[in-house]
Amino acid sequence: MRRISAIAGIALAVLAGVANAAEDPGKATAPRMEFVAPRPGSYKLQRIQHVSDAKLLDSSGRLVSLSALTHGKITLLTFFYTYCVDPLGCPFAHITLAHLRDRVRGDGALVNRVRFVSVSLDPTHDTPAVIANYGQEFAIDPKFDWRFLTARGVPELLPVLDDFGQDVSVETDENGRATRTLHHMLKMFLIDAHGEVREIYTLAFLQPQVMFNDIKTLAQEAG
Amino acid sequence: MASAYEGARDNANRGGITMRLHRQVIWGFCIAAANLFGYAAHADETCNSPYMAGLIKGQEDFVHVWTLGVPGVGDESDKLVTIDVNPASKSYGKVINKVSVGARGEAHHMGFTDDRKYLWAGGLDDSKIYVFDVGTDPSRPKLIRMIDDLSAKTGYAGPHTFYALPGRMLIGNLSNVADKGGVTGLSLYNNKGDFITKYDNPTSAIKGVTGDGYGYDVAVNPAKNALLTSSFAGKNNYMRDLGEVVKDPEAMKHFGNTMVVWNLKTMQPEQILAVPGAPLEIRWALAEGQNWAITATALTSQLWLVSRDAQGLWQAKAVATIGDPAKIPLPVDISITADAKGLWVNTFMDGTTHYFDLTDPQHPKETYSKHTGSQVNMISQSWDGRRVYITSSLLSKWDKKGKDDEQFLRAFHWDGHELTPAFEIDFAKEKLGRPHHMKFTANPSRLASLAGQSAH
Repeated sequence: MRRISAIAGIALAVLAGVANAAEDPGKATAPRMEFVAPRPGSYKLQRIQHVSDAKLLDSSGRLVSLSALTHGKITLLTFFYTYCVDPLGCPFAHITLAHLRDRVRGDGALVNRVRFVSVSLDPTHDTPAVIANYGQEFAIDPKFDWRFLTARGVPELLPVLDDFGQDVSVETDENGRATRTLHHMLKMFLIDAHGEVREIYTLAFLQPQVMFNDIKTLAQEAG
Repeated sequence: MASAYEGARDNANRGGITMRLHRQVIWGFCIAAANLFGYAAHADETCNSPYMAGLIKGQEDFVHVWTLGVPGVGDESDKLVTIDVNPASKSYGKVINKVSVGARGEAHHMGFTDDRKYLWAGGLDDSKIYVFDVGTDPSRPKLIRMIDDLSAKTGYAGPHTFYALPGRMLIGNLSNVADKGGVTGLSLYNNKGDFITKYDNPTSAIKGVTGDGYGYDVAVNPAKNALLTSSFAGKNNYMRDLGEVVKDPEAMKHFGNTMVVWNLKTMQPEQILAVPGAPLEIRWALAEGQNWAITATALTSQLWLVSRDAQGLWQAKAVATIGDPAKIPLPVDISITADAKGLWVNTFMDGTTHYFDLTDPQHPKETYSKHTGSQVNMISQSWDGRRVYITSSLLSKWDKKGKDDEQFLRAFHWDGHELTPAFEIDFAKEKLGRPHHMKFTANPSRLASLAGQSAH
């Protein structure tokens, strides 16, 4: 298993390495919001794409169908890895989600209609046990549906990333060797109860009030 | 050799992620955020969509040029030409790759997807969109997809601006298939190339200003939830000989005179701004506290500033002239510096490249100009502003005739005082065609070295 993971990891490293250009984005900044969020239901969220099915592992090690977690409820899905330390990376995404979770929990009409799904980008490290431990911090309310998922291996993760258009790359050192850094563009996907992506948030768009109104817009649309 | 994932796991398990790694991780994850410092629009590294990964702040390796095919020249097809622009390379200043699309459809502008792996390039005449993979090996782009349903899905024609939004591409169009005039709109595709929806440009009055429905550029400011569009002309004008157009009073009535402020979330037009004379390229200054955008009007040869007034309404006003407007120098492309304190402007008719000091955006001042060709159109600068690239072609029917029909890419060094020639590609001599829009990529093998620079 370790060897398979290593091979898969190398494959992803090579794949990602050649896919990523010489990036130097410099200093980051938190998203700003200098406007009043449009009222829920006053606008339409477009159907951007359908989510394909895949088999992933939940935090107890059970094999689950992704489609089961992108249907039936309004879903906010994001990718992360547990040892990410960037304050404007995965931790920022999960802080934003935690804030939204509290907003949703406070709305009786929404609380049972919304779920969050966090999918690990590093199945070789983020085993079910690791994501279970990581998720404890966020899944504070057993009544709120927040799933942490991983994959059996990188080959099973790659089609999911490809389907979502989620880029991931592995940094290489001066000698072309993979370092211990993963790169990805922070994206969060708002999926309706029929498995259609209706909004995508990158960092500049992680504006909690807008996101909450988007969730309510989808809820109103579904009736 | 440990895999990246194994390395990451080992590091995490040790619980001792070094400061260098810490910084590298931050660097890696700050891609989207850092692009807030980007300046929204297209044409160069300071003008990409701010939702796009991987701005190149160091030395770019390649410039890709979307090039119009010319009858009797080479394979006569529109093509993506790749030029090696790294001075350290043996092939510096040379064409190293070209990908013909097998058709001639008035190649014009391009835009990266949000992950910068793919380049969408449009044809203003045939309304086809070509998608090139520039992420796998930027020295050898590959044509992976052709999208030809724009007109059928929308009734629009002339896909012009390709503006990356998260997971999708917003396209500003120039015309329509019904009367080939300038009334058009925006179209939205997902990154897989599937059509999502369209948005008609406003033709009725909003707050007392009537829209003309024309389109051109697209630029977004996420903090303001604002999308700005500008307006040019339809196929009846841009696919007609320029000399004929300017002599036809009726044709000259059919140019855009407005900009539109859209609510980005709702995609509803909220304000129409009167900006006479075909406002073209739009550049937002997105840094905190810089809440303005700038554009140049082609026919009236002015710089216009778009900013919010005390009541929160957007206002547009002319803040400078470009050359002598009476001579119609025809300002075309503009390029804003990374700090939004300077602006390059090319004027097509007199072949002049101008530099404006934008320190006070209310009062831009021209501080430099140079004759850079018999005709000049697009201008792109590197993030650090030290390298400036210029191409010659505007439109196949608008380019000059005879000896003035130079077709080139000229690269310059800029030291803040003088543009010094670096190299030149003669697109006519090399039988390539008419060079138009440019985009930069960097060799992925440098990722590690740039990371090292970033970490130290």
